[in-house]
Amino acid sequence: MIRPEEIKMSAEETGKWGMVINQDICTGCQACVAACAMENNVTFVGEEDSGYGRSMHWIRIERFWEGEYPEVKMTPNQPMLCQQCGSAPCEPVCPAFATVHSTAESLNLQVYNRCVGTRYCANNCPYQVRSFNWRDYERPEPLPNQFNPDVTVRRRGVMEKCTFCIQRIHKAQDKAKSEGREVADGEFTTACAQACPANAIVFGRVDNPQSLVSQLAHKGHGVKHLEELGTLPNVTYFKGG
Amino acid sequence: MTEKFSRRDFLKLAGLGAATSAILTGCGPASRYVKREPYQQMPEYNYVGQNTYYATTCRECAAGCGLVVRTYQGRAIKTEGNANNPLNLGKTCARGQATLQGLYNPDRVQGPSTGDWDSAIQAVADALKNYKPNEIAFLMGMAPDHLFDLVSELASATGMNAPVRFGALGMFESRATLSKAAENLFGQAGLPWFDINGAEVVFSFGANFLETWLSPLPYTRGFVGLREGETKLRGAFVQFEARMSATGAKADHWVPVRPGTEGLVALAIGKLAAEARGGAMPRAFSSVNPADVAEQAGVELEALEELAAMFATRKVLAIPGGAALAQSNGLEVAEAVLALNALSDNFGQAGGVYLSGLAPMQTEYNRPASAQEMKSFVEKMKSGAFKVLFVHGVNPVFEVPASLGFKEALGSVEQVISFATFPDETAAEAKYVFPDHHGLESWGYQRVATGSDKPVLSGAQPVVSPYYDTRATADVLIAAAQLAGGKFAEALPFKDEVEFIETKVSALMAEADGSFSAADPVTFMAYFQQHGGWFKNVDARVSLDGSAVLNNNFKGSEAEFAGEGEFFFVPFVSPTMAEAGANKPWLQELADPTTTVMWNTWVEINPETAHELGLHDDDVVKVISEAGEVEAYVYLYPAIRPDTIAMPFGQGHTAYGRYAENRGANPADLLGAHFNEAGDITFGGMKVKVEKVKSAARGIGLSRLESTMGVYGDSLGEEH
Amino acid sequence: MADHKHDAGHAHSEEHFREKHLMLDPLPRGVMNDMVMESMTGKPTWKFWTVVIVLSAIVAYGLVYTWAKMIAEGLGIAGVNRPSYWGIFLVNTVFWIGISHAGTFISAILRVFKAEFRRPFTRAAELMTTFGLVQAGFSVFMHMGRVWLSYWLFPYPNQRMLWPNLHSPLTWDLLAITTYLLSSTMYLFLPLIPDVAMARDRSTGWRKSLYKVLALGFRGTEGEWAHLRNAMNIFAFAIIPVMFSVHTIVSWDFAAATRPGWNSTIFGPYFIVGALHSGMGAAVVVLAVIRSNMKHMDYFIRGEHFDAIGKLMLIISMAWAYFFFNDYMVQWYGGDKWTHQLLHFHEAGPLGWMWFGMLFCNIVVPWAILWNAKWRATPWLVSTVGLIINVGMWFERYIIVPISLTINRMPFTWRMYNPGAEIPLGIGTLALFILLYVLASKVIPLIPVWEVQEGQMAHELKKFGRETVVSVSELE
Repeated sequence: MIRPEEIKMSAEETGKWGMVINQDICTGCQACVAACAMENNVTFVGEEDSGYGRSMHWIRIERFWEGEYPEVKMTPNQPMLCQQCGSAPCEPVCPAFATVHSTAESLNLQVYNRCVGTRYCANNCPYQVRSFNWRDYERPEPLPNQFNPDVTVRRRGVMEKCTFCIQRIHKAQDKAKSEGREVADGEFTTACAQACPANAIVFGRVDNPQSLVSQLAHKGHGVKHLEELGTLPNVTYFKGG
Repeated sequence: MTEKFSRRDFLKLAGLGAATSAILTGCGPASRYVKREPYQQMPEYNYVGQNTYYATTCRECAAGCGLVVRTYQGRAIKTEGNANNPLNLGKTCARGQATLQGLYNPDRVQGPSTGDWDSAIQAVADALKNYKPNEIAFLMGMAPDHLFDLVSELASATGMNAPVRFGALGMFESRATLSKAAENLFGQAGLPWFDINGAEVVFSFGANFLETWLSPLPYTRGFVGLREGETKLRGAFVQFEARMSATGAKADHWVPVRPGTEGLVALAIGKLAAEARGGAMPRAFSSVNPADVAEQAGVELEALEELAAMFATRKVLAIPGGAALAQSNGLEVAEAVLALNALSDNFGQAGGVYLSGLAPMQTEYNRPASAQEMKSFVEKMKSGAFKVLFVHGVNPVFEVPASLGFKEALGSVEQVISFATFPDETAAEAKYVFPDHHGLESWGYQRVATGSDKPVLSGAQPVVSPYYDTRATADVLIAAAQLAGGKFAEALPFKDEVEFIETKVSALMAEADGSFSAADPVTFMAYFQQHGGWFKNVDARVSLDGSAVLNNNFKGSEAEFAGEGEFFFVPFVSPTMAEAGANKPWLQELADPTTTVMWNTWVEINPETAHELGLHDDDVVKVISEAGEVEAYVYLYPAIRPDTIAMPFGQGHTAYGRYAENRGANPADLLGAHFNEAGDITFGGMKVKVEKVKSAARGIGLSRLESTMGVYGDSLGEEH
Repeated sequence: MADHKHDAGHAHSEEHFREKHLMLDPLPRGVMNDMVMESMTGKPTWKFWTVVIVLSAIVAYGLVYTWAKMIAEGLGIAGVNRPSYWGIFLVNTVFWIGISHAGTFISAILRVFKAEFRRPFTRAAELMTTFGLVQAGFSVFMHMGRVWLSYWLFPYPNQRMLWPNLHSPLTWDLLAITTYLLSSTMYLFLPLIPDVAMARDRSTGWRKSLYKVLALGFRGTEGEWAHLRNAMNIFAFAIIPVMFSVHTIVSWDFAAATRPGWNSTIFGPYFIVGALHSGMGAAVVVLAVIRSNMKHMDYFIRGEHFDAIGKLMLIISMAWAYFFFNDYMVQWYGGDKWTHQLLHFHEAGPLGWMWFGMLFCNIVVPWAILWNAKWRATPWLVSTVGLIINVGMWFERYIIVPISLTINRMPFTWRMYNPGAEIPLGIGTLALFILLYVLASKVIPLIPVWEVQEGQMAHELKKFGRETVVSVSELE
């Protein structure tokens, strides 16, 4: 028996990916949400289901209100996505090993074809960033032409979530490997970060002190959400203001 | 269709064969979900398993952002921003991302309504030939420019009416007012260019520059510069508007002034600032009394004084825009706000106001038609002066406010020919529909009107083969002109659209400071396609002479409102959907940045007001103006004046495909035909009534991404 | 006691004992066997067929059709959403496992402690365990997104060398429930052997063939009895820890999660007591139904049994109240703001009535009624209390699952849960539970005759002067 944690990846493929999100400049424009949906074949669910907590957004922008009119203020837009926890509550509870930790990329993987749909992971996710395929949502022809061939199309009964665009990570690693070099910082990025008109999302290796994301993450006054739960999230937020 | 059996046809058949056998042999539950696609869309030069990237231009709005589209085996997979394009520098907005859902929309017009293109071209040729040139009119959208140029040339050579351009985005931006204000203050018409990036403080009077206003991507970049500049302190941002927009939500101070008083507030701040500075009171501010203005605008005088104090110490950039200009006194509002900049003396300087430079191949600023000009256009239609109307790139039945009577006037035009890609409301009224390609299947170019400091010509090329039996409108017109013969054929002596574009673009070879250069037109054109356009490496912004601005005499007039109702009405363009996004399901499912509503239209009402009226979330209300009435769900919006209600524009289609049809309401139906001095419709100058139609029912209502429990404390058992 | 004294002085005191206590009211073995056989093999009435047809129709629609539709279309037809990912499915799972608890509790614990009143109803209770677990299994499997792959949850050899994740409480859960189902079925079967042997000897046709197989050739020799007693003893002791582990593990599905309201160390015993609470309630309902609907059952099931179970119910209700209060206090004093929000939501949210209803059904009703010996001996009253307790316990699970899931650490996602297909599915499991009982009553002797007879042999009424006393001899 090989246990997943015993599977070793070759040294050049290891890395710790992370993200820094600057809420002060996030305008809430939803470009990241659209980009994520396009890149990752995320389905739309229609008016009724989306209003009933069944939307499939892998990234959502949260905002609250402070104060009363006229001193009312909207809290800084907070893009919420899988925090790719170092110690993820979703992982131990899956009975089928569909939610596993990747030591190679330091990510939480969701193995769609292993998922049997107990939804325990979603219950146990403190960030509530997992989406479940409640139905086989219809994408009439020819909409499926735009499917990204690098990303599995999920069917009903399967849990899904942000992957940090793992297909892009692998593509960049493959390319770098074939050229005999390391992946350079900023060589590629996630769909959300790439689209973000404000550059409020920065993605990269947090284990490389030279990377932009590390430098931003160590600038100070950054917040990791629900860190008190010991989840070791890989996304750092700057509220700013 | 060719008669010969080409290699591609063979591949098509082979592919279909493979697909069929896959279905026949498939077994087990998973096989139903595995589908082999035939190679039907695959160009010969694609490598299997390799991505091909094409640079082109986004056509979701007229800003002209560059895109790089990833294609795979002949299918467009993903759009990204083109980093070479100085306008968007590799970024896209949500609409640019979702453009693929237009390309592969299940409800496109799949072929000419006459059945085949030969008869379609004959029909266009007949329309050109059989009527007097001055009986033929073109109504076009704000994009693409190459077609506008082609039609303009055709019109000027043949004596047809010059093409008229219109777009709801331009209408809601009040472009005519901005341009007129610039002309009045600086003697030169054009779109002002605001350097938010370099400012220390931004005062925005209704300008929703982070959403749809003018060119949101560069303005977002400017906003980031304001907040995050490496060498300066975090810049402050103050927004004056009656209803908190997604832009206003990012402001440090949101000042809910009464609609119509924005100009007065600007003048009052100017006066207070000038007083604080001492010296002679500029003439521009002399007519207002700040205490009265505070009263009229419904804000504290102290608040105005505090804001004015910023002028004394910091470099302030004042921006007029949005609903503030769409008032009976809108032109004066625009002028008053622009004049404020004189206090910071920032005209033509970093952090200040410029005029957008002319784009390549542009000799003068040409703005889209104002609503008033559309009204005279409609009157010509009604009077029978137009016998043939060609419509391209715009959906006037939806976008032109109903009170202008465009739809009714269509009945007076003998032949309406629509080139719509989607079965929109106008196409439904047209005699013929000869569908143009989707933007990603099209050639073209777009002049960047504003947003970039450099003159940019964004280039478009097809990234995939046309999916349906559509044809480029330029090709149709060229073919029809040739068929019509005579001066029509002489006016368009081109083989096809591409030759026309090459002719135009290669003229740029002679220009200096280009982003690339080439010795021959073929190479130049290849670079043009590869780079996704061409730009000049010069700062083309026009520095303004603002020395005399403060000598203007502003009357400080109050806005007049049309209608009887008790509420001011603020329609705003949906930031995620804009005027043409409703048929893209993922744009429908994006949460609105301020309300998080998806898939529908809502009416924003202040919770206190709603409480007084006995209204709750998800009640259905009827909003009644002098021009019409619409029904929508109530959204208790905490950041709107109690005397104001607001509605997003973008939904309420009666056609336009399954995702858009019969969904929500169109607030443009409420707008009466009133115009400000510059000819823009006074969409912010309506007074409306609100009547409850029915109470919220369980399970029916707005789809929100947010939790009403978690965000507003509904149903939590909290004491109220 | 005053009554007793009065009776003891009476000439009919012996009559009185016999009337009250089954153990002191022996009938000849042959007569008793015939009574049980008649209750089982008697010609079914139209009432029986109506019940069977109605229940079958409910099962066909609620369970078969609705589940098939849900498998084909996805869980979207149910009401589960973000954040209430589990909903009524898990409410029912916990509920049915709770019900199944009382069967084993009554049978095994009372057998181990030699509680004589258990004798006539151990069988009915054991059936409740098995039938309840079947419903629990249905409820948990139907909530899976891809139930056709549920075999992945079992450790079986496969070429990918993948085992279920032993970190997951759901895996423990599955193993515990499977163990419980297997062991409780065996525990049901062992005491059944002498009774089916009896039935085999008194029936013809298909029944004879069936019982022949089930009786495993049991003839009632001393050696067979000795082995059987041994086996039953081992199982009675062994199944008790299994029973405790099952519901503790079910509670860990919740307690092991990082959620406000769930992450509570006392959930294990709290769930066990809750399970007993609902299980005893269900058992008393089953007894009342059997007693009033089957022939001769008023001989076997008497007021004394309701009285005895009623006492147990009262004690368990007190224990439940203790654990509930304990859980609430500790969670509240924990000071976590989300837990505070959740506890407030429990009482003051839109389903606050359910929280108060739970306390009323689980505490107020049993305490108000079961303290009185006379009321306790009234079958309809005690079974009504049992029914009410079950409603209360269902509320409790509803509060723990969908209502607690509504509130989490991301207020942006809080959302109410409106059940959809869960309702027909839940009613379907209830109908199947009853249907299995109804059908079993025609095939399986619902009264363990040999156990009653054994007890009656051991009991004797003796007279010391004017005083009549009960004497029980040690059997083993």
